[in-house]
Amino acid sequence: MDREEFVLVRDMVRSLATRFGVTSAGEVKPSTRTAAQQALDELGLADLRRTSPPAATTQECALLAEEHGRHPLTTSLLGTVLLAPELLRLLRDDTPRSTPTIALTRELRFPGRRPTDLVAWDCEGADSALCVTADGVVSRLGLGPAAASTDLLRSVRAVPSDAPVEAVGHLTAPDRLRWQAYALVVVTAELVGAAGSFVEQAVEYARVRRQYGQPIGSFQAVQHLLADATVLVEACTSVTRYAAWCLDNEPPERALAAARVAKAEANSSALEAVYAGTQVFGGIAQTWEHIAHLYLRKVRLGSTLLATTADLLPALAVPEVTR
Amino acid sequence: MTDTPLDFGDPADLDRLRREFRAWLAEHPLPERESGEPVPVFLRRWHRLLHSGGWVGLDVPERYGGRGLTALHQVAISDELGACRAPGVPRIGYLAHALLEFGSEEQRLAFLPRMLAGDEVWCQGFSEPGAGSDLAGMSTFAERHDDGHYTARGQKLWTSYAQYSGLCLLLARTDRSAPAHKSISAFVLPLDRPGVTVRPLRAANGDDEFCELFLDDVRIEESERIGAEGVGWALAMTTVSYERNALDTGHISKYGLLVERLRRHAAEHQGSLPDGLLSRIGRCVVDYEVLVAHARRRTAERLAGQVAGPESSVDKLLMTRTEQRLYDTALEVFPAELSGEGGELFGDYLYSRAASVYGGTSQIQRNIIAKRILHLPSNG
Repeated sequence: MDREEFVLVRDMVRSLATRFGVTSAGEVKPSTRTAAQQALDELGLADLRRTSPPAATTQECALLAEEHGRHPLTTSLLGTVLLAPELLRLLRDDTPRSTPTIALTRELRFPGRRPTDLVAWDCEGADSALCVTADGVVSRLGLGPAAASTDLLRSVRAVPSDAPVEAVGHLTAPDRLRWQAYALVVVTAELVGAAGSFVEQAVEYARVRRQYGQPIGSFQAVQHLLADATVLVEACTSVTRYAAWCLDNEPPERALAAARVAKAEANSSALEAVYAGTQVFGGIAQTWEHIAHLYLRKVRLGSTLLATTADLLPALAVPEVTR
Repeated sequence: MTDTPLDFGDPADLDRLRREFRAWLAEHPLPERESGEPVPVFLRRWHRLLHSGGWVGLDVPERYGGRGLTALHQVAISDELGACRAPGVPRIGYLAHALLEFGSEEQRLAFLPRMLAGDEVWCQGFSEPGAGSDLAGMSTFAERHDDGHYTARGQKLWTSYAQYSGLCLLLARTDRSAPAHKSISAFVLPLDRPGVTVRPLRAANGDDEFCELFLDDVRIEESERIGAEGVGWALAMTTVSYERNALDTGHISKYGLLVERLRRHAAEHQGSLPDGLLSRIGRCVVDYEVLVAHARRRTAERLAGQVAGPESSVDKLLMTRTEQRLYDTALEVFPAELSGEGGELFGDYLYSRAASVYGGTSQIQRNIIAKRILHLPSNG
């Protein structure tokens, strides 16, 4: 896309947020979820990664995921728009018959060797889930009932063990790396957007909230907390954007290494930044009505999504053979 | 803020420059430091050699002895030097920029070519015993006389390598009544002038980099003032923002070498390393890769036309985080460095503790972010 085109698409996601962004947990209902997802589907963004070569670069997709994460949206931009279509594109499968999302393990990791014990992740509006096993076999699975998620904005459904399984294809070894790197980058970008936006909201609050007769943002203790949170968000932003660029420009091994680094950074930094923002909001952020816990839930669960810090750091400590 | 795609790749001419430089390095082996040769003397030999190849002051206009390229070209050279374990480029970029932005044409022509060539060594006379973070609170005073010359009196501190320098970029107050930020002027002071005393201090790691500088009624000519009276604060801020620039120092590739050493050790001792230590090494890898990506992003932003501003405080805090965690972890991985009087790595570790102090403390950087990036209100 050229710059103007990208800005146009990004602004579509922004305006979706103005119409469908929730202002508190109480507004998250099945009917509002459906309406928001329909509005997203009407934008036709699932075509961005559906064709080869794709209409949007990975970096552009990461920026859209980041924008989506900035707002309290219940839409499955990641699962049904950015992730599953990319998988079908890598498989050169152009049957336009369904709206899949992706399947992950119950612990929200990439599936192992066998497609068992799975959930359909980020599945609002999805009619099936694509599962990629460790050896690259891709199958389409039927969906079960809705499942609870600590991230209240995220739709998750069970995948029953007797759900119909349909073979879809097989990813080559390099495509498997590309797929994992892409999924890590898109998921990380959404966390970065959430943390960045939440810190900005906390900065705004610190300007207006007054104690001891002055804005709390004038106190150095609060200023330094927010400055540190800003540095953490900038760190996640740089490394996630770079990992996305690597997928567009570098070999898949290099891109996957960069994506793992980005996820490791965001796992701790995005979460620390959200903690700082929550602290600035003080007592009000501890209520059900306040938006803070929606961000906290998304980023806390997000830090375990696909790869945890405990998975990543020991692995990154030793040089990869491919590097 | 950047919310549209960026190009993280090296532009073609930068890539060409890197290759030219590597070819030059292959033909010009690094000089060896002779036994007993003080570091600054060795560095000056290296400076002159680099200059002979045209690798100093790449971003300085040609008429002042540079090559008329951009800051990014200079950064690429720093990066290449770090990657081959060579000493960095001479740290004169910030002084050169002070002269370029504030000096008269006559001063630029007189000082810049000799500075770049290493014919004249400069030091920086900014901080004072009573003016560290609060630099504007300096008390060194230059009294102006009717014929235009000044008499300076005061004491400067942390003047790196003053004992090996010929000239000092000196800040002194020239107005007792104006507010602090408008009463400071900048001067070029030859250090052999009567009334100047230089006294080296021994640093925590044993080096004698830092000096005290005493000025007892030192005569300074009007022609030695840089810019108008009262612009000293603006000059200092420009200088410091260049000094603080994480991209401009070649530190990143130095960290990269240590990170690779840690990774090799981790690979060789995977079974015997405690899990916690393996994770700490992993954390250093992440810190380092984040810094590399961050530097590439800054480069991309500059190429896209964004000018450098207060975000260099973010860069410095990230650099400090990386450096301090890295050297602390390295001591844990190589405990022999802590035995006896300590190895080379231990010296680097001690120096890493200064990262959160020099070039503006981490607390000052946070103040800058809060005020100039987040626009949070002032107290009171």
